[in-house]
Amino acid sequence: MTSVPGTPIIQTFGLSKRYRKTTAVDEISFRVEPGQVFGFLGPNGAGKTTTIGLLLGIITPTGGRFELFGGGSASDLHAARRRIGATLETPNFYPYLSGRDNLRIVANVKRRDAAEIERVLDLVGLGRRAKHKFKAYSLGMKQRLALAATMLGDPELIILDEPANGLDPEGMREIREIIRGLGERGKTIFLSSHLLSEVERTCTHVAIIQNGRIIRQDSVADVTSHGVAGLRSADLEALAAAVGEYPAALWSDRRGDRVVAELDDGDLAALNAWLGARGIHLSHMALEARSLEDVFMEATGAAEGVSAEVGPGDAGSGSHQLGEVR
Amino acid sequence: MWAAFRSEMRKMWKRPATWVTLGLFGLITVADLFGEYRRARKDPDDPFFLPDAWSLILGEEVMVGFIFASVLVILLVAAEFSWRTARQNVIDGLSKTQWYWAKVLLVPLLSALFLALRAAIGGSFALAGTDLAAGAQWFGAAQLAALGGMFVTGLGFASLALFVAVAIRASGPAMAVWFAWFAFGERLVVGGLGALFEGWRPILKWAPIMTFNRLRDYIQYDSEAFRMAAERAVEQERPVPELEALGPAFAGSFLWIAALLVFGWLWYRKRDL
Ligand SMILES: Nc1ncnc2c1ncn2[C@@H]1O[C@H](COP(=O)(O)OP(=O)(O)OP(=O)(O)O)[C@@H](O)[C@H]1O
Ligand SMILES: [Mg+2]
Repeated sequence: MTSVPGTPIIQTFGLSKRYRKTTAVDEISFRVEPGQVFGFLGPNGAGKTTTIGLLLGIITPTGGRFELFGGGSASDLHAARRRIGATLETPNFYPYLSGRDNLRIVANVKRRDAAEIERVLDLVGLGRRAKHKFKAYSLGMKQRLALAATMLGDPELIILDEPANGLDPEGMREIREIIRGLGERGKTIFLSSHLLSEVERTCTHVAIIQNGRIIRQDSVADVTSHGVAGLRSADLEALAAAVGEYPAALWSDRRGDRVVAELDDGDLAALNAWLGARGIHLSHMALEARSLEDVFMEATGAAEGVSAEVGPGDAGSGSHQLGEVR
Repeated sequence: MWAAFRSEMRKMWKRPATWVTLGLFGLITVADLFGEYRRARKDPDDPFFLPDAWSLILGEEVMVGFIFASVLVILLVAAEFSWRTARQNVIDGLSKTQWYWAKVLLVPLLSALFLALRAAIGGSFALAGTDLAAGAQWFGAAQLAALGGMFVTGLGFASLALFVAVAIRASGPAMAVWFAWFAFGERLVVGGLGALFEGWRPILKWAPIMTFNRLRDYIQYDSEAFRMAAERAVEQERPVPELEALGPAFAGSFLWIAALLVFGWLWYRKRDL
């Protein structure tokens, strides 16, 4: 199976996983194109790990289907897994074996020769601790070993579940560099995270997942470049109601003394004219830049139905919620 | 499959539990059989030599080896679920089929290993007291048949161990269940069902442990040892042993082993990792 140019690396069609009491993944559809560094962003319990487990074939879907490298049959998927390096949730290794011996097991499964082991160990900076037992590793070292294992065999697709988990800022930066380097070499990377800054700094594309549903999906550039219009007028009630009906507004929200709206076209003049025609005169109008964090808060907040409660210091409340998530 | 089995070997020989189990078993076996050897040196009327000593070497205590083999199977299999390496192996590209059947290969390997260890240790001590110059037939078809039959017993116990390990996925509880079934669970169930449904009794005699154990009686394989056991029973006014048809016992054991391995496989395959 070789990939035809233009075939998505990952594509899901209404993929679902229902447990007895919860729907962990709820009919999600997304596609990851070759060369993308795709961030799968969501708070705890959103369904990130479950989605990855489904893609890796260790969790059986209860609905929908998916394709890897353009193939969706059982044998296609099995063949595809040889082209993937992946970790799920925690680094899973044999505690009584050294880091190097653990990689030998992985190399053996992937039918790779042992020479590659030293290369990936050096790449993640574990060379000098490779002879120590895995159980004696710190969490950060375990994460590094997991990253090294995913790179064995030079896979085309690398799937990482919260790779920054447990790393110190320096470790995070190093991992970020490695991931960026892989991306630059044309590898497709799918990484889940609840850390917005992580995704913003490493990813080219992002899907935001919450309660098992994808609520936003785009390139990071597009997601953050869409300006949000910040508006003020004497009668905020009327303004909010009017903006809510504006066709080009993707969403709108009342925040303290202003109304904010994301415009599909970014055309402030058109919005001004449209409001003017409805007798609403603005005292303030500005395009506000957004970080992925804002997008995340808007998207997840809206999905939770709490957007109205977000006060003027929304950035502050945003980082507060993230603090919990972390 | 071969690659998977090679990994299995590497993991097994590097695992401290393997050496602890083997070491402990070796110690117990040496202590037991060296005791026989020393006793025989002191009492020339009751010598310890081959081939007669085989009935002792391959006696009741063979079961100790099978208990160790089963414990080791459980440790090697169930731990992979706690460490989630069972999951990671599949993520890394092993199919579930390869993973499971590579584990199945541990069953004959460990059954044979622990049986061979006891036979080798006991055989060596007894050989020291054997007059080889007199042309003693110290190992023959009877012993080979006995080892073959006992190997199947070992397969049975170890298959049961593999089954509980993949069904329960945790070493401690799996060992508890295995041991409980072996020590009293089966007897309770068979006794209970037999009391409730008298018509079932002939079938209940074929419960797994009972079936496996039929192949574990040394005198069934060695006519000389059988004759001596019968004489001794008459002298001591105990019930005289009977020769059993081993064919059905072999067939029953293989059926149980196949059933345990296949059910284990279906159960393992059906559940998410
Ligand atoms: N085996 C299971 N049985 C029942 N419910 C499960 C199971 N696995 C996951 N869930 C539920 O599915 C939902 C999604 O879980 P998942 O682990 O995919 O979240 P996540 O996005 O990876 O979260 P985190 O950031 O905490 O890792 C949760 O509500 C979780 O409780
Ligand atoms: Mg998770």
